[in-house]
Amino acid sequence: MKRGKHGELLQNIVRGMLGAGLVEEVLAFGRGLNEADIVPLSVVDPEDVERIVAISYYPGSLAKLVADYGDRGKKIGMVVRPCDARAMVELAKRKQLNLESFYSVGIECYGVVKARGKNREIYIFPTEMEIDGELKPLDEAALSPNCRRCEYHLPAMADVSYRLGQNGRTFVIANTEKGRKILSAANIPVEEGPQPEVTAVKERSAGYQEGEFGKLRQMERRERLNYWLSQFNKCIKCYGCRNSCPLCYCEDCYLKPERLLVPGEAVPPEMLFHITRLIHVGDSCLNCGQCEAACPMEIPISRLYHMLYKELSSIFGYESGLDVKVLPPVSTITEEDRTKTGVDLS
Amino acid sequence: MAVFEPRILGFLCNWCSYAGADLAGVSRFQYPPNIRVIRVMCSAKVDPMYVMKALLNGADGVLIGGCHPGECHYIGGNYYTRRRAMMLKKLLEVIGLEPERLRLGWVSASEGVVFAEAVRDFTETLKGLGPNPLKGQR
Repeated sequence: MKRGKHGELLQNIVRGMLGAGLVEEVLAFGRGLNEADIVPLSVVDPEDVERIVAISYYPGSLAKLVADYGDRGKKIGMVVRPCDARAMVELAKRKQLNLESFYSVGIECYGVVKARGKNREIYIFPTEMEIDGELKPLDEAALSPNCRRCEYHLPAMADVSYRLGQNGRTFVIANTEKGRKILSAANIPVEEGPQPEVTAVKERSAGYQEGEFGKLRQMERRERLNYWLSQFNKCIKCYGCRNSCPLCYCEDCYLKPERLLVPGEAVPPEMLFHITRLIHVGDSCLNCGQCEAACPMEIPISRLYHMLYKELSSIFGYESGLDVKVLPPVSTITEEDRTKTGVDLS
Repeated sequence: MAVFEPRILGFLCNWCSYAGADLAGVSRFQYPPNIRVIRVMCSAKVDPMYVMKALLNGADGVLIGGCHPGECHYIGGNYYTRRRAMMLKKLLEVIGLEPERLRLGWVSASEGVVFAEAVRDFTETLKGLGPNPLKGQR
């Protein structure tokens, strides 16, 4: 079987971006020194482009990486999934990166697997999955739990949308002016593929959301509190969730010892650790699942954050990661707020 | 069995609610002694963390008092407080606490009666809810 067979067009796009000098480097997931590893790569040399893959495995957030270590002056190309494209928008709102200097290629995504066997090539399609070239019906249990609840399959916030076709047919669509530049640099005609059929996938995510959140909502309050207490009690304070969260950008973190909450050389208390994170990112949680993937104690953190996000999204009418001009609801007031006199906005 | 007396932590803004509470005092309006007051310069100074820390440390309820919308000494601090309180109430619900344990009230400097009534009503609500299950959890 040929390696990375769905990534060829993607590699051509990246080669074009680098060749035409649109970007100085491209950040993407690709094969590491060991062929079986998938690692974040900063590609500068066109020879390295063929290491870039489009397989449905996404171990980490590139948006987080670039916000943490990115060179502010550089033009950077990104190969991202929709959750990461949304993370870039959220980080741009928080002045952590400037979208102007990024050229992003978004991969249309129907979920990624939470773990993959070494050497395995896995691609997830709306209702099927391809493992090492063999097409099978989709095994939803193999997907990351956050991906099962995900409702953002199309990377409309990226400059170019890139779609893997089941029969090796791939489509690229330019979403922005920068996207058209990318495609003309790569000498790829803009193809208007048929609109993907996402209704079934949307229904599936609504079902998973209803199932997981519904179960928690139906619990008695005390039962729910005890459930979360028992989950938080497992926490070993490795700070993995904080360090992997694309929205946790503060250099001077509240959870650091000798800030407001934690005395020097102490470990933050269980509940407070998670509630602090919940307060800080709950209104814009992207449901990217990085926190849960990082958690060594298997606490279903992204379920909690996503649940609060959905609740807040319904009262504030806010969807995170779509429009860079719409600011996070808890830290922004609108003109309409000034006309309301009650203790809530209803 | 002893009657449950809730402990309320009150964050009152310097310019309106604190003065309102003061007025309630000098005017001898009776209200339950369950509230402990912390004066803050503006209700927007109340970080959501303060509320959660109070609840985790065993307070049965938290009252945030601010100026009426449009009357904030800092023009718009109370609008932020309002959004934060809305967020916190959802958060309490999601993790399994009663959202009623947090109350936001607008009390102006001349509204001693309103302050006394707010404390009275909040104390009654909390008596109905019972002790904070998080007491001692941290």
